[in-house]
Amino acid sequence: MATTQAVHYRRVYVWQLPVRLYHWLNALCVAVLIVTGYLIGNPLAISYSSEAYQQYWFGTVRFAHFVTAFIFFFNFLVRTYWGFVGNEHSRWTNFIPLRKKQFDEIGNVLKVDILQAKAGDISSTGHNALAGFTYFLTCLAFAFQSCTGFALYSSMSESFLPRMFAWVVPLMGGDFAVRQWHHIAMWFFIVFTIVHVYLVFYHDYVEGRGTTSSMVGGWKFEREDEHK
Amino acid sequence: MARVVVDPITRIEGHLRIEAVIDNGVITEAYSSGTMVRGFEKILKGRDPRDAWAFTERACGVCTTVHALASVRTVEDALGITVPTNAELIRNLMFCAQYVQDHVIHFYHLHALDWVDVVSALSADPKETSRVARSISSWPKTSPAYFASIQQRVKTFVESGQLGIFANGYWGHPAYKLPAEVNLLAVTHYLEALEWQKELVKVHAIFGGKNPHPNYLVGGVPCSINLDEVNAINTERLNHVGKLIKDAIDIVEQVYIPDLMAVAGFYKDWASWGGGLTNYLSYGDLPTNGYGQVDSFKFPRGAILGRNLNEVHEVNARDSEEIKEYISHSYYEYSAGDGTGLHPWDGETELNYTGPTPPYDQLNVEGKYSWCKTPRWKEHPMEVGPLARLLVAYGRGNTEVKDVIGEALGRLNVPVTALFSTLGRTAARGLETRLVVHWMQEFYASLIANIKAGDTKTFNDYHWSPSTWPDTAEGVGLTEAPRGALAHWIRIKDKKIDNYQLVVPSTWNASPKDGNGLRSAYEESLIGTPVANSDQPVEILRTIHSFDPCLACAVH
Amino acid sequence: MSETKLSVWQAMQAKGYSRREFLRFCSFAAAAAGIHASGVTSVVHALEKKPRPPVVWLHFQECTCCSESFIRSSHPIVSDVIFDYLSLDYTETLQAAAGAQAEQCMHDTMKNYPGEYILLVEGSVPTNDGGIHCTIAGRTAEDILQEAAKDAAAVIAWGSCASNGCIQAANPNPTGATPIHEIISKPVIKVPGCPPIGDVMTAVVTHILVYGRMPELDGQGRPKEFYGRRVHDTCYRRPYYDAGLFVEAWDDEKARKGYCLYKMGCRGPVTYNACSVTRWNEGTSYPIQSGHGCIGCSENGFWDNGPFYQHLASFPGFGIETTADTVGTVVGLAATAGVAAHAISTNIRKKHLIDQQIEEANGDEKNAEGGKA
Ligand code: HEM
Ligand code: HEM
Ligand code: NFV
Ligand code: SF4
Ligand code: SF4
Ligand code: F3S
Ligand SMILES: [Mg+2]
Repeated sequence: MATTQAVHYRRVYVWQLPVRLYHWLNALCVAVLIVTGYLIGNPLAISYSSEAYQQYWFGTVRFAHFVTAFIFFFNFLVRTYWGFVGNEHSRWTNFIPLRKKQFDEIGNVLKVDILQAKAGDISSTGHNALAGFTYFLTCLAFAFQSCTGFALYSSMSESFLPRMFAWVVPLMGGDFAVRQWHHIAMWFFIVFTIVHVYLVFYHDYVEGRGTTSSMVGGWKFEREDEHK
Repeated sequence: MARVVVDPITRIEGHLRIEAVIDNGVITEAYSSGTMVRGFEKILKGRDPRDAWAFTERACGVCTTVHALASVRTVEDALGITVPTNAELIRNLMFCAQYVQDHVIHFYHLHALDWVDVVSALSADPKETSRVARSISSWPKTSPAYFASIQQRVKTFVESGQLGIFANGYWGHPAYKLPAEVNLLAVTHYLEALEWQKELVKVHAIFGGKNPHPNYLVGGVPCSINLDEVNAINTERLNHVGKLIKDAIDIVEQVYIPDLMAVAGFYKDWASWGGGLTNYLSYGDLPTNGYGQVDSFKFPRGAILGRNLNEVHEVNARDSEEIKEYISHSYYEYSAGDGTGLHPWDGETELNYTGPTPPYDQLNVEGKYSWCKTPRWKEHPMEVGPLARLLVAYGRGNTEVKDVIGEALGRLNVPVTALFSTLGRTAARGLETRLVVHWMQEFYASLIANIKAGDTKTFNDYHWSPSTWPDTAEGVGLTEAPRGALAHWIRIKDKKIDNYQLVVPSTWNASPKDGNGLRSAYEESLIGTPVANSDQPVEILRTIHSFDPCLACAVH
Repeated sequence: MSETKLSVWQAMQAKGYSRREFLRFCSFAAAAAGIHASGVTSVVHALEKKPRPPVVWLHFQECTCCSESFIRSSHPIVSDVIFDYLSLDYTETLQAAAGAQAEQCMHDTMKNYPGEYILLVEGSVPTNDGGIHCTIAGRTAEDILQEAAKDAAAVIAWGSCASNGCIQAANPNPTGATPIHEIISKPVIKVPGCPPIGDVMTAVVTHILVYGRMPELDGQGRPKEFYGRRVHDTCYRRPYYDAGLFVEAWDDEKARKGYCLYKMGCRGPVTYNACSVTRWNEGTSYPIQSGHGCIGCSENGFWDNGPFYQHLASFPGFGIETTADTVGTVVGLAATAGVAAHAISTNIRKKHLIDQQIEEANGDEKNAEGGKA
């Protein structure tokens, strides 16, 4: 490539190890939960035996869903904690747009995303304000999915964690409604994942600051003529 | 002239209010009002037609299943589905179980206390009761000691001072005419019937999972037959049904019919009152060769006008000129004006209360006064129910029916015109129970024979999937519920219910007057009835109860 | 007529039970209630002394199938309940008196037994337009319920109608049908189901009578004894569920083998009821045993969870066959398509930009080179 613009980038360590670990564990969990959840909702017509005791595939799928659900939940708790103690990029303040600067950036990002390829004023080093905000919404969805999931689980468990969510059932009007919403929320995650992964690559493409690899190595690039 | 109000009419299903004008001890005018509405026809709109059976079944838990049957037939009619032989036979068995159980309950638990004086049973001689019982029936539980123990139980109960459901009855009223011994017999069978009624409905539990409100299925029945499987209708399940039918025959032949005849013998005067309308309507039911084959029905279809049993008219529920519902005196409004009549496919259900503000003492009978619509067949008010069914069958020359009626009339020594009365209606219910319980045995035998011949199919999946349905469809499903002619009409659009209308037996009978001032069955039947004491109008109860009212059905 | 009220002991005596049998009954009752042997005497005492508790059974917007179910009870048999255990002073379905005499029965009980009678309610209460959709003796259901509930010792909501509004409360709820706990301010024991199982109904009543206290209730006011488990948890077809062996179509090979009905829309996994253990009609069967899925008849708002033959409800505002999955698939595909289109147009624009930038950069380089040279 012949481009050698006189722009200088500085390497910034944005994603600490816990954030990166969280991210990939979370992505894995969500993927497993979507696949197993979808199967729970729409079981395949497989039967290699007519005797129930000779096979247990559906039970296994459910088991996988529940185990993953626990990992997913605690992983999410760790990240929540890290939002208070981690570096500046991982703090909760990045996720909830309260400052004017964040609103301005949301506007800019929207321009970039819609008008395409004019990476003008995205100056955040960590998440841009819009991304941060969608992650915040995603976190609400995580919380919602955990509440509904554990509420459903509470009817089949005596242990204290799921029982803590039992109140959700009457609040939502019954197990059917809880299940229905839990199922609907799955589609949020599917759509989120499609758009999220695309946008990560897209911003990498237009900004050229190593967005994608940042979640692997933790480093991003920041223009030196800009501060933060 | 006095206005007598009976509200609530008890020992019925639902909320019925009767207002009667009594002049010189005789009823000269009557108003029948259904005072509770739920709006089923509005609720059904926009739903999956295959779910409609479950909704409509909840119209009533007393005649549970009959609306489910009408509903699945309606949808099957709209979509052109025919059900397998086994499904038809299983539906027939459930139908018969419903009839027999419902009629027995009506006789002993809803109607009997109009004729039987519980308190008088205390002074009976159990030995004499035993003698009477043995003279009319071969039922085994007839020892003097047995009747004495029942008498003792009633005595302790009465002496407790807590009369429970018997409190404030019209005990001692001169209209009660049974000897103490027969009263004791009836009270005994009240208890026995109460214990037994829960048995026969197990047929519903076996084929439909539960009673009340067993499960139905568009296209067949939900249960599968598999003689090699414990988890389906198998030999044990069928044996259970067989046993229940056998016991039912015993109860009907040895308890219900003998009691009915014994009681009727003391109340022959009631063969001269309560006849009311002279028109009778029956849709017919119990197919023996498919629901499409109307001439194969055990109960034939037809209408009788002016009590002319020599001419039975054809009935066509699809003809927009035959069946119409009016709301001249009902709390609804029609878009084309409240004077119009609508065929149920075009039926409307807009609630519009215009009655007095509660608490009220009297209805505004000049205006609208009931939640029940008023159905008419070719503009005629029609009586429906056991009597109508038997008369239509009689008119059609059905020998089975003629024999059963003839025998009963002979035993009571009354002419055939005695049927057009309160007593006739009550007797007709018993007589058809007798027919039905034996038909049930026939259907059972046919089911076994069919399975033996290797046919175990219970469901036809043609058009189960909505993706195969036409854009629009319309259907009507007819049946004979215990209380009479029942039909549902459906219009399906974009795979959803566009319009759904129920015209129910008690709608025919309990409805208010039409725009021409013509009374429906309840009101008409009360005219001319003498009332001895207007504070204790047992006579009103007798005639109204002879219809076995169901107001939840009627209004829905 | 003597005014003494019959105690359970007297009632048993009248039916020919010996004192010995009575005591044995008491110790069974005590054992079942988890009462220690030393407590048996207090149970004996309670059953010996108590008159039959007066009961008022109200009927509102209902189909009367709760009453019908009640009389299907087999243990205890219903005649024992209404003649020996209780004094059923008012119930429109069975009582001898009618009209004013019937109303008199209710008022006598309310007057003579304030704070002592049990109120059983079948049916929901319409609240639209001043309650004119259900009147009895010229009074609205709401009016009657308020009066009867005032001095009741305990209130039981029979069936889904009284507990959650049931069918008449289904969308669009034309009459404003309302469950009774939203009308009265007393605690209500809910016994939902459409109808509830007869033996469960009599068991709830006998629980109160025999143990002299309310059954333990769950968060929604239902006795844990019968509503603590989902139909699915104790369904005899459950092994097929775990094994992934499902009925795929009505009366198919798998239906004939009695596989799990989950894919036919069974609501057992989301329904709390005793059906799969207690079963119906003296243990004869329950919906699933007859081959039809559970429709969730004891759950709040189950009528609006249709179609009953789909595992998920149809998506509001779409056709009956449209579920969250149909909508989700469309949205997912739309997102993918949008992303793809975005990617393509980005690429075109970006290529342009890159070319521009390269050009600029090359120009710079040339200038720079030229400058050097
Ligand atoms: C991204 C996260 C999750 C997704 C996408 C997801 C998805 C799903 C889906 C689609 C179903 C099937 C619902 C149906 O159609 O009936 C389901 C069922 C279920 N999920 Fe999740 N779920 C997630 C997280 C959780 C969590 C955190 C829990 C907590 C324990 C959980 C517990 C359950 C339970 C108990 C069921 C019902 C399974 C059964 O009864 O057989 N889920 N999930
Ligand atoms: C190939 C798949 C994925 C890649 C390459 C990827 C990449 C990334 C990157 C680069 C970021 C940081 C973005 C920024 O700088 O603003 C990020 C953040 C995030 N991603 Fe992903 N991601 C993937 C899949 C997923 C999945 C499946 C989920 C879960 C539904 C997910 C949830 C998140 C969340 C919640 C954050 C915010 C992280 C935080 O700060 O806590 N990602 N992802
Ligand atoms: N009328 C009526 Fe029914 C009946 N039989 C139904 O169609 O009672 Ni509840
Ligand atoms: S709960 Fe169901 S069964 Fe009971 S009265 Fe209501 S509609 Fe009927
Ligand atoms: S039939 Fe229904 S309740 Fe039984 S295991 Fe299957 S899903 Fe559960
Ligand atoms: S439909 Fe009702 S009867 Fe039981 S199995 Fe389901 S709760
Ligand atoms: Mg109607």
